[in-house]
Amino acid sequence: MIKLEFEHRQAGHCENGVTSNLLNYHGFKISEPVVFGIGAGLFFSYLPFLKMQHAPTTSFRVWPGKIFERATKVLGITTGVHHFRNPKDSMDMLDQILIKGLPVGLQVGTYHLTFFPPEYRMHYNMHNLVIYGKENDHYFVSDTLMEFPVTISYPDLMRVRFSKGIFAPKGRMYFPVHVPKQVDLKPLIIKGIRDTANNMVGIPFPLIGVRGIRYLAGRMRNWPRHLGDEKASYYLGQVLRMEEEIGTAGAGFRFIYGAFLAEAAEILQQDWIREISVEMGENANKWREFSYLGSRNCKKRGKPEQSYEFLAGMLLECADREEKIFRKLIKIK
Amino acid sequence: MEDLNRKQTDADHREDNQEVIKGNPDNLFYNYNRELFYSFDKSKGFTKKVDYQYTANQTIIKQQWDLAEVRLNEVKRLVIAGKRSPIAYYMEKKLMDVPILAAYMNHSTWKIRWHLTRTGFKWMKQETLEHYAEIFEISPGELKKPSFLTNFSEN
Repeated sequence: MIKLEFEHRQAGHCENGVTSNLLNYHGFKISEPVVFGIGAGLFFSYLPFLKMQHAPTTSFRVWPGKIFERATKVLGITTGVHHFRNPKDSMDMLDQILIKGLPVGLQVGTYHLTFFPPEYRMHYNMHNLVIYGKENDHYFVSDTLMEFPVTISYPDLMRVRFSKGIFAPKGRMYFPVHVPKQVDLKPLIIKGIRDTANNMVGIPFPLIGVRGIRYLAGRMRNWPRHLGDEKASYYLGQVLRMEEEIGTAGAGFRFIYGAFLAEAAEILQQDWIREISVEMGENANKWREFSYLGSRNCKKRGKPEQSYEFLAGMLLECADREEKIFRKLIKIK
Repeated sequence: MEDLNRKQTDADHREDNQEVIKGNPDNLFYNYNRELFYSFDKSKGFTKKVDYQYTANQTIIKQQWDLAEVRLNEVKRLVIAGKRSPIAYYMEKKLMDVPILAAYMNHSTWKIRWHLTRTGFKWMKQETLEHYAEIFEISPGELKKPSFLTNFSEN
């Protein structure tokens, strides 16, 4: 039996939480928002040609796996990242690394995840969790979505590690090997903020960043006319689910990012960033309001001010606010 | 207009969260697990809270499951009418779509679409049927002749 002394901490988002918990185990204290910030996780993209659960994909974050990759790279941490073809090999490797005394992060699919809340069990392959021990045929799991640590059996774990579909995990596992004791966070934070700002306002492509939000607003206006009420309501629901549901900690990561800016202001000792964090918080509240009104619409209790026209207007306002924020942040020094 | 609307939202929000605030999780659709949420207030700054999903959020989660059920019933109707094969029904029941099922079966998508038709299903090899049954976690007999099909014939 192996059981590492791993501290289970809940987090808003699985990948940030896993990264922050893994680094915490190695004695490098770093909070979830800071990981998200220096990993440049905030993003927006609306991809109408990529259908997920029968509706266009809206994403509020960068590609899965990117946050861990970027955050560990800039922090100068040596990591091991492995993919597998053979499920048996992947489980053997997992056991070997646990014996070495390192907790391991895994990418898994959620449909067959036995301990997961039933309402989230869909074919979604971008979930992350940490394995920190093994007893007989059961593994100890720290899942940042769950309130308490849980366990999972050997065949179940093998199954979720090799779930199929879009972004299939292919047994992906990752773990920090060597973590430096002291890192100067200042240049990393500046780089992270600049990267995020560039992603949001610097890329001249209509489907991503602030332009993506405006594009979505334009499309949303026409949904009831083009798709009919039922489908329009489902499409709107999909946007809201991606915004509020599994692991965004609310408002499509805008709250986490605001918390990061507040911490960054203290570390960098630049007061103007604190003001921007307040703006970001207000922006996040606006997004949350959008989701409340939208959910009323999905409930079919719609009033005129909860129509698609009104909601699209709200999105445009969010886009304006974000453009203002990131135009300021891109000039950070 | 905007102020009026904001007030209304706040009121709605309070009404929605009354159940949670009262600590009566029975009124929620989903009360399996409490999650971490961030929130922002100008006076307090950013704060964290562990709670059940808000009712507003639970509504949009429920919407997805309700629609999955509607789709399932629609496919069931088509299968009974003899227009699609039982594979279509079990695919929908497992919340899959054609590319996902193709990935699990290690087949191309057009082959899966062929198996969704009744003719394709009739011409399918026994091994393929067993492979499907394994993925759907049912017996091959059940896949060949689902229990909801009383008047389903081989021809």
